[in-house]
Amino acid sequence: MELDNAAVEEEVCKEMTGEIIVSMLKILVFPGALFLFVLAFFYEWVDRKFFARVQNRYGPLHTGLHGILQPIADFFKLLSKEDITPHSSDKITFILTPIFYFALPLTTLFVIPILNQKSLIAFEGDLIFVIFAFTLIIITVFLAGWSSMNRFSTIGSMRAVLQMLSYEIPMGLVAIGPAIAAGSLSISRIVEWQSPNFWLILIQPLGFAVFTICLLAELQFVPFDIPEAETEVVAGWRTEFSGRKLALLRLGRDLELLLVSALIASLYLGGPQQFWLIPPIVIFLLKTTFVVMLLSLLRAAFARFRIDQILSGMWKYLIPLAALQIILIQLGLGR
Amino acid sequence: MSYGSTIKVPFGPQHPALKEPENFLFEVDGEIVVDVKPRIGYNHRGIEKAFELRTYMQNIYLAERICGICSDAHTTCYTQAIEELLGVEAPPRAKYIRVIIAELERIQSHALWVGIAAHEIGFDTLFMYVWRDRETTLDMFEMITGNRIHYAMNTIGGVRRDIHADMVPKIRNGLDFLEKRLRYYLNAVQTEQTILKRAAGVGILKSKDAVDLCAVGPTLRASGIMNDVRVDDPYVAYDEIPFQVIVRDGCDVLARILVRCEEMLESIEIMRYALDSMPGGIVKVKAPMKVPQGEVVSRVEAPRGELIHYAKSNGTTKPERYKVRSPTLGNIPALCKMLLGGYVADIPIVLAGIDPCFACMDRMAFVDAKKNKKWNWTMQQLRRKYAKK
Repeated sequence: MELDNAAVEEEVCKEMTGEIIVSMLKILVFPGALFLFVLAFFYEWVDRKFFARVQNRYGPLHTGLHGILQPIADFFKLLSKEDITPHSSDKITFILTPIFYFALPLTTLFVIPILNQKSLIAFEGDLIFVIFAFTLIIITVFLAGWSSMNRFSTIGSMRAVLQMLSYEIPMGLVAIGPAIAAGSLSISRIVEWQSPNFWLILIQPLGFAVFTICLLAELQFVPFDIPEAETEVVAGWRTEFSGRKLALLRLGRDLELLLVSALIASLYLGGPQQFWLIPPIVIFLLKTTFVVMLLSLLRAAFARFRIDQILSGMWKYLIPLAALQIILIQLGLGR
Repeated sequence: MSYGSTIKVPFGPQHPALKEPENFLFEVDGEIVVDVKPRIGYNHRGIEKAFELRTYMQNIYLAERICGICSDAHTTCYTQAIEELLGVEAPPRAKYIRVIIAELERIQSHALWVGIAAHEIGFDTLFMYVWRDRETTLDMFEMITGNRIHYAMNTIGGVRRDIHADMVPKIRNGLDFLEKRLRYYLNAVQTEQTILKRAAGVGILKSKDAVDLCAVGPTLRASGIMNDVRVDDPYVAYDEIPFQVIVRDGCDVLARILVRCEEMLESIEIMRYALDSMPGGIVKVKAPMKVPQGEVVSRVEAPRGELIHYAKSNGTTKPERYKVRSPTLGNIPALCKMLLGGYVADIPIVLAGIDPCFACMDRMAFVDAKKNKKWNWTMQQLRRKYAKK
């Protein structure tokens, strides 16, 4: 019997090690960190290429097929560049903020369902966690600009925070829409709910529009690229960053783009679904690519607003629209 | 909103919104500009002195290089001045060719400016599109003159090359294409909400201020003042060509954009008329090397406004004194007026709104305002004073 017990224990141990290894692999490789890096670089290429084609330029062309490896090449080039920490900067914050800026969207991506309708980490209320992470990203941006002690960085970071004050409230308001419809605050559950019913964009188009505009501002894309308006404040809050730090900031930006497009795809476009024999991940990739292209099209079609115009515009138009969407849902339309 | 105290924000000489070195010291109260102090003279090239050291023929090429964008305006102004001193007149066909080149240059320069203005307000798509279509004008220049930028078309007593019959249909095709595209952009500028938001009511320069501060060119015409050297003091063949002077009374950046867009369309009409009614004959008469004693002032409507050249000759092959007043200098006081009371975020577009060409403008003089003294220094004296010891 003793022997048996030991065997069972060994078996359980083996199973557990196996499970740990599998979940480690899931988090680190697929559909975790490594896969997300590749995807982030791929979407940067999609964004750059599509944006360039819209503007009648070629875009990335030489590295890899149609320049598909250009973002990775840029990343490695920046890693090898001289890494400067300005003398008068707040050094600890200055060094830490790029790491946070890159880690925050990466961590948040784990709660978004990618492989199938269940995300790697799913809990009731992860939608709120995502919105909280968006705020944290902007606070990191503020700290990054503030710690650089550069005139342009300071202005840029102040503008970033002012902009956050304008778009965060309508974004939070409309994000509740899908949650009310699905009766859950978990993104995985919202995705599951859409699969037998219908995509939420069909019944909450207003919410989709407001959410996309707010996330455009979150990404600091034209017309909301005020914090890094190059003709006004050079590179804004990123002015002083170089070398490895800039590489991390760029990767963080790519991951943020991936996060935003994945979030829109999950909340409003049904996320990963099985269509006939096509695996859910392919559907997910198609949907996110579509969202990335929509975002780049929007950023090609406008001029930059002024910060006061953003603030008043968001409060005057977007918040009432967001409230209207919630009222419509409460009246029974769109759930 | 007032914060009680103001801060000084320097803008330039190195700044992404300025392609040329110039410094503006802004006094800012919160987001509002309350005072502007321009400091010009960073790009001293000694070009007026260089004029005095070269012969009249060599100086054509020097005048060409005062500005890279409006190089033809400078040579037209120069050759016109020297021709007047010599008592030589360019043949009628040469005058029409000068008009064609000048108007093509106006289209090229204004298109370049529209692209830059779009870039200043973050509308890069418009920037790319306009500059793509501007290539058409450069191709036409290459066909007519052999060069894309410094055309070297004018010479004393006429032009260097003729416009041949086989070029005319190609020019017409190019003009048709440009007209179609320009109408599209004109419509886009008037209807695109984000452009209107950034340009309308920004950088106000009232008519009275514009006149008082001696603004020139499209900046002045956008403030509702009808002023154009081509009409007021016709040179080359402008007295024979009917055209409209574009005036807008918006007094803001939007009016400046619209004036320039419509001027491009008008330039296309002028070019078409000139191609139709171009007389035949020679394009160049021979001019003597030595210029008789005398002095002359010559005026030309460059794309950026009224350009003034002054020449004084002493009977030799080289001018005794040469002075160039480029249009940007005339617009600087008006620019300071426009910036006052505006937002900090509007500084780039208002600055770009006068279509500045600082490098053409900058001269240097040694003055002591307190003692009311002026003096000259040679290169050696300068080096002794400022070179690293």
